[in-house]
Amino acid sequence: MQEVKALKEIPKNVNHPNEELIKTHCSYCGMQCGMNLRVNTKTNKIIGVEPRYEWPVTEGKMCPKGVTAYQQTNHKDRLLKPLIRDDASKKGTKEGFREASWDEALDLIVKNFKALQEKHGDDTLSVYSGVSMTNEKCYLTGKFARVALKTKYIDYNGRFCMASAAGGSLRSLGVDRGSSLPWTDLHQTDCLFIAGSNTAECHPTSMYRVWEVQNRGGYLIVVDPRETPIARRADLHLDLKPGTDLALANCMVHLLIKNGHIDEEFINQHTNGFEETKELVALFTPEYTSEITGVSPEKLIRAAEIYGKAPNAIVMFARGVEQQSKGVDNVSAYINMALVSGKIGRPKSGVATFTGQGNGQGGREHGQKSDLLPGYRKITNPQHVKEVCEVWGIKPEEMPGPGVSAYELFELMDKKEIRGMYLLCSNPAVSAPNLNFVKNAMKNLDFMVCSDFYMSESAEFADVVLPSTTWSEDEGTVTNLEGRIIKINRAQKPLGECKTDWEIQIEIAKRYGKGKYFEHLKTAKDVADEFRLATKGGNADYSGATWEKIEKQNGVFWPCNEESVDGTPHMFLDKKFYHPDGKAKICALPYRPPGEEPDEQYPLRLTTGRVVYHYLSGNQTRRIPFLKDMCPEPYVEVHPELAAKYKIEHDQVIRLFTRRGEANYKVKITEAIRKDTVFVPYHFGHEQSINLLTNAALDPMSRMPEFKVCAAQIEKL
Amino acid sequence: MKKVLYIELENCIGCRSCLAACTQCGGHEQRNRNYVIDVNPFVDRQTMPMMCLHCENPPCARSCPVQAIQVHETGAVLSAMTEKCLGCQNCTIACPYGIPKFDVEQNLMYKCDLCIDRTKDGIPPMCASVCPTNTLQWVTEEELAVKKSQFRLNNGMMASMEDPYLENKTNVHVSLPGILEGKEKLF
Repeated sequence: MQEVKALKEIPKNVNHPNEELIKTHCSYCGMQCGMNLRVNTKTNKIIGVEPRYEWPVTEGKMCPKGVTAYQQTNHKDRLLKPLIRDDASKKGTKEGFREASWDEALDLIVKNFKALQEKHGDDTLSVYSGVSMTNEKCYLTGKFARVALKTKYIDYNGRFCMASAAGGSLRSLGVDRGSSLPWTDLHQTDCLFIAGSNTAECHPTSMYRVWEVQNRGGYLIVVDPRETPIARRADLHLDLKPGTDLALANCMVHLLIKNGHIDEEFINQHTNGFEETKELVALFTPEYTSEITGVSPEKLIRAAEIYGKAPNAIVMFARGVEQQSKGVDNVSAYINMALVSGKIGRPKSGVATFTGQGNGQGGREHGQKSDLLPGYRKITNPQHVKEVCEVWGIKPEEMPGPGVSAYELFELMDKKEIRGMYLLCSNPAVSAPNLNFVKNAMKNLDFMVCSDFYMSESAEFADVVLPSTTWSEDEGTVTNLEGRIIKINRAQKPLGECKTDWEIQIEIAKRYGKGKYFEHLKTAKDVADEFRLATKGGNADYSGATWEKIEKQNGVFWPCNEESVDGTPHMFLDKKFYHPDGKAKICALPYRPPGEEPDEQYPLRLTTGRVVYHYLSGNQTRRIPFLKDMCPEPYVEVHPELAAKYKIEHDQVIRLFTRRGEANYKVKITEAIRKDTVFVPYHFGHEQSINLLTNAALDPMSRMPEFKVCAAQIEKL
Repeated sequence: MKKVLYIELENCIGCRSCLAACTQCGGHEQRNRNYVIDVNPFVDRQTMPMMCLHCENPPCARSCPVQAIQVHETGAVLSAMTEKCLGCQNCTIACPYGIPKFDVEQNLMYKCDLCIDRTKDGIPPMCASVCPTNTLQWVTEEELAVKKSQFRLNNGMMASMEDPYLENKTNVHVSLPGILEGKEKLF
């Protein structure tokens, strides 16, 4: 059997004169592809990219975003000085800013934040952050909100990205590490069951491993309403209606049980909840499921047969199943497949989720979430609070309680319960659902600070904009989609007057009179050392993952609780799960429809997603010439039959509208979409933003909005 | 060990990483010299990289009146030499694959040189280095032989381009669509 090629001989890199290659990782998605940044040693400028062939996860491979990522650091649009807006009437536009010194900007922030807190209480401030930043920054942001600003209102954009995957894994397995196995197992398995992931466009560098499974004679099953590039070549494409995954997953479990493709010994010894689930999924016959999902019974039966018979199989999922008002249930339902068949806790078999944001994994473990503290500790657990307080040097009674989720922060801003916001590393004015409401909520703030390295759509609502650094001007660790902690290295000194986010937060904390909790942190390494200590004893234990070890081992898989151990590439090898009794939970999950179903007035289903050329809100990638040329504007995918019904043509501009908003898009006629569904990519801002239309129906557990389905209508202009 | 560029067409997802990577090669001055086309955008949405096949007897070079197009000892057909190129565009007309392009401003032809500054030292060309799908692969001749034996089409033809040629033998090898046809499944 042939191995994937580059595992044998590692190519060399080109050595250009007067250049240094800095080993690091891409700034974008959770793949965190290894790359070398080419740095001119005379000018200290990043000038290009060279593959990093020795990186075991991606072996030098990069998508078009990765190849051009280096261009963001020295881009002409970089913010180089703090900006202050004196005229609040111009909020929501790029106008009305003036350049200011750091001292003036920081003093103004502290003065206004303090005034708001004195008048309206500590919790009138909020911190809204992101997970495209290092673990160290994520950790410090949590500490900054709770220790310096003393507010309970902190949350992050992972609510729009990974929160449901986390919730499902926690409930089923007792722990949330997105992947139970390393990516280097992927191409060695016999069956990949991939649900709700446009892998080819969102995580392209996984694709050579996916194709390798088929080249070896293995199977690829894809569940997706669209015939994406990966679905096109799949052995089986289950083209379900958006928002019906839960029924499909229950049907898979039903068929696995019915056909005897289950591992009774594993179920008896290592799981709870089987009997209850068996009873519930009995309803989900292929015929009944077909009525809900629109997938033919034959396809459902064949899919379960392939997965059931596979000696090794991996169930994988992404935002397609998670960004629903039942995202957590969807995730648990798909994990059920692995649990009833015993295909978890061994190499080449398991469950894995594709992480959207660069540090979607690490970013949710270290205290940026409203209910969590570093190391995945719960803020409602007094013992956990005590452990973290010891590291931070505060008293447990000083620790603010749990706050609310990202979207709910905007609801509180609308009600004037929150009057100030410190926003960093995120662009909710594009990425949040129901945008008209969210933008009004931001406009409604008394004082808003935005830290970013470009003028984002969200920065337009700020009173003070702080110029921060790009990923290549800072150092630290991130955790990729495998759960592998990796090292980001500094390639260039910060441009202009830019500062790293952790430096900015420490500055503000000092001016806030909280210096004693922060001023010992002089370098990123200092933050890293305190951060590792703060995770010790938690589920996500990073305490043994020193920077040196990460370099030496090509990354360290958490948990890694001792410097003397290597880490944990495969989870659950001992068949021990993280619930108190050591067993996993097979969940009985009744089906429920999406928050909004098509009706006479809005007869279509709208779903959203990505294109390969852009990352998240597009604030970074829309500025890179190559990527902008390849995809300059959004479009709406319409099936030829639907187009004929509405008498609309390719490239014609139409109006798309839902109960929440409307926007105009060019039509892209394609057979890749279902006849009852339309698709629009979400990377674009202002009037082109599809999130003006999306539904903020929240999952009851993860508080993730239902980006992936709502009722819509189109109109010819 | 001699390596060759091998293209497995069906793997292509249209991400155009190869184009972006091409701009990063030394001497390419941020311009890509390879292309990806949409084969049938409304129906099957298959995309296909259009790479120079580096013919053994290249028509672009044959048609050049001033020998501006040189063939490197590795087999790579190089871009037109700036000091010789007349800008007559014979090469762009002669190539059956549409690879050489003409830069009107510089009055100069430019084409893929198989990243000669890399491949002459055994380093993979940028397009194959980054290709996330293994559509573009930099393989040894032994590995190529394995590919040929692995992927047989129903019509019994070798997948890796032996025949027919549009022009003549090429240094770059292409698998025809259908590599998984007749593939024996593991179970």
